[in-house]
Amino acid sequence: MMKKSGISKKTFVMTATIGSVLIMASLIVLSFLASRQTISATNDAVSQVSSFYLEAMADRRAKTITNLIENNFDYMQRAIDILEDEDIKTQEELRDSIGMMKTLLSLSRFALVDEDNIVYTQYTTYTGGSRHEFLLQEKMDKRSISTVSIYGSSKQLCLAIPVHFKALGKNFKACFVQIDIKDIVDLLAFDDPGRTNYGLYSKSGENLSGTELGPVIGPHNLLDTLKKYVSDNVWHGIIDDFINDKEGSLTFVSDGAEESLSYVPVPEMGWELVVLIRESVIHDQIREISDKNLAISKFQIIFTLVLMFVFATILLLQLRKIAKNKIEAEQEHSRNLHSMANTDSMTGVRNKHAYLAKEAEFNAKIKGKEIDKLAVVVCDINGLKHVNDTLGHEAGDQLIKDASAMICDHFTHGSVFRTGGDEFVVLLQDRGYDEMTEVVETFNQETEAHISEDKVVVSIGYSMLTEGDKQLSDVFARADQMMYERKKELKSMGAKTRD
Amino acid sequence: MKMTTFCKRMIKTFSTLFLSFMICISMFFLSGCAGKPASGTSTDNDSEANAVTEDEAVRNAVDFNHALDDYQPKKDHYSFYFTYKTVHPWWDAVALGMEDAQRQFHDKGITVTYEYMAPNGASAVDQIQRLARAEEGGFDVIGVDVADENVISPILDKMVDEGYKVMTFSSSDASEECKRIAYVGNTHNYQDGADLTEALCKKLDYKGKVAVLVGSVGAPCHEDRARGARDTFAKYKDMEVVAVEYDMDSVDKAHDLTMKILEEYPDLDGIVCCNMSNPVGAARAITEKGSKTVIVGMDHDKEALHYLRDGVIYCLGVQDCYSMGFDTIDIAVKIADGNMPGELFEEKTNEITTIIYQKDAEAMLEILYGELS
Repeated sequence: MMKKSGISKKTFVMTATIGSVLIMASLIVLSFLASRQTISATNDAVSQVSSFYLEAMADRRAKTITNLIENNFDYMQRAIDILEDEDIKTQEELRDSIGMMKTLLSLSRFALVDEDNIVYTQYTTYTGGSRHEFLLQEKMDKRSISTVSIYGSSKQLCLAIPVHFKALGKNFKACFVQIDIKDIVDLLAFDDPGRTNYGLYSKSGENLSGTELGPVIGPHNLLDTLKKYVSDNVWHGIIDDFINDKEGSLTFVSDGAEESLSYVPVPEMGWELVVLIRESVIHDQIREISDKNLAISKFQIIFTLVLMFVFATILLLQLRKIAKNKIEAEQEHSRNLHSMANTDSMTGVRNKHAYLAKEAEFNAKIKGKEIDKLAVVVCDINGLKHVNDTLGHEAGDQLIKDASAMICDHFTHGSVFRTGGDEFVVLLQDRGYDEMTEVVETFNQETEAHISEDKVVVSIGYSMLTEGDKQLSDVFARADQMMYERKKELKSMGAKTRD
Repeated sequence: MKMTTFCKRMIKTFSTLFLSFMICISMFFLSGCAGKPASGTSTDNDSEANAVTEDEAVRNAVDFNHALDDYQPKKDHYSFYFTYKTVHPWWDAVALGMEDAQRQFHDKGITVTYEYMAPNGASAVDQIQRLARAEEGGFDVIGVDVADENVISPILDKMVDEGYKVMTFSSSDASEECKRIAYVGNTHNYQDGADLTEALCKKLDYKGKVAVLVGSVGAPCHEDRARGARDTFAKYKDMEVVAVEYDMDSVDKAHDLTMKILEEYPDLDGIVCCNMSNPVGAARAITEKGSKTVIVGMDHDKEALHYLRDGVIYCLGVQDCYSMGFDTIDIAVKIADGNMPGELFEEKTNEITTIIYQKDAEAMLEILYGELS
């Protein structure tokens, strides 16, 4: 039965342990797989979203440039309309008027050109035939858009319209504005927090804005730089797109980072607007959201695990408490059994079995010379048989109890054993040993007094351990002999005896 | 007894397992479920440092970082008239320096207005007419890039005598005896011609047939460079000058002249080009002809820089046009206030010329035209 019960508990604990481990491992593996799946799905979504996002952004920004150009053409026409209505007589008046138009219409480097290609600005008048490309045309009859490469300066967009305006005795044939291309790119990026890169490029890939298109392309020629990152087919395709004013997009990898790029032609300009974004930027944005969700999931998992841990701890503690109680009960039971085996049930003192165990213990110590103070007192109840025979066994039993009580009352510092029906042995050590003589004397006086009082009479003999003693029985024998002598003595005093 | 030992062992085993498991879980979460892609870029600082050192001379060839000194102009408005030899991109570069100075004066509350005029072709007669009109314009200072020093210098003297404040600027000064107040520009045209020619002779191992292309007849800067070239060739007995031609600052004419010379001397070894249009026209011609003729020339024309980058032109002498323009306006204001050369400015403000080679072309294209390959 005992064996069967042990296997059952073991199985239970093992099952609980393995089950818990499996549940937690499954939980973690599933969470990890789910996390990976989420990231993979996010990456796929990012790739699709980024292309769409960039194309839409490039289209919007190209329209912004177109609007900017159209606005400037409109403003120039308005400026000319105003100037035509003014009566300008001197060069200073003309300069003032040009300055006023610049301020009112926010025109950058607004200038007039006369029929001799002399350019009039707010502060200067200069011969501009070699400086402004549009002046190379023999006859200017439509608006002109040109990209100007200026010595020591960033490239500029020059917008010119033909005019028919007369002042200072001269016929003016054109007016123009020049806009720094870098300012245009800055305008495109004004509402972007630096995550997207914009650039304006010529058909040959020359950087017109001078801005950096991310860390990979940098400020360099776009087409030359892209050659290192895309296949020949793709590269030639991009070149064709640039030459033929087409739009497109591509993704390439540099130093392990994916870059997404979209380009759209800017109408009438001969430019390609390029928008580039690192996929990592989109990733970061989406990952930010994903990370929040992941953090919540992690919290939930950790919370669950903590709960499981607390629950398991409580279970363990309870299991331990149960085991402890069981162990204590077993120990108590064992102690009781042990006590029952060594105690005389009638008197409550230790019995013959206990005495024999103690005798063996003392014999070992005597043999090993580990003890020097040891005395044995042998006690015998006088007249027990007489009482049993005359008054009955109950009275006999009472006599035994009285004798035991008397012995225990006097030999308070000794071990009392009932070794036979009317025999007791007291083993004295230490203080009991030292006080033995006085106690024996008192005991004997009381015993003698009991004779006349018809109370319990106990004969005692004692002996102390001597050097020649090899075992306890040697001491016991002397004490026993003395006890018999005392018994005789008490008989002579009137005490009842077996005889 | 057995049960007690068993229970203790099981509790210990279970606790150890559970604790290990919790540690693993903690590490798992601490390390993160998803790895972020490594990003990062690598830079070679040494290479960058070396590149900067190599580019330093080229980058100093043109100084775009000018600032006005602490001179306090006496007026709040100045009006100037400048005339130069011919409509040409070289003087457009000078104009940009002028405009920068004008903006800086404007920022200080001083308005500077000016005219900056030239004929379509270099002409001393045209310049005389322009100066005559300028005299009527009430300008504070009249600046002249001398078209022909022999013709224009006396005119300038007369103007000074009449009380006009006259200065010369950019490429060509007046004659040494001229009374003009100051000159801002290249003061070493002869040496520029000599230096370019020396580079050519060395390249040709001091022997071969060479030609000299000059700009406008009588233009001091062009003539001085041509003189420097001729004098340098004269030092080496195996250098033979087979032609000297004037393109009158026209690229097309430079091209045609070079074609003509190459037809006459197919074995031509080198050409010295004394102005900005010469090297462009010459390079176009030898490219068409497939000739190996070595070209040395002047200035910063973008097309010429491309030819330099591609090895068609051997070297170019780049003048600091931007500084010429900036300093011209700066000194014109001081002259207008009645100052004369001395502590405030020198009688001749020298602007540098830097000879650049193929290895420098990319950097120069970036500096001057923002062109990045």
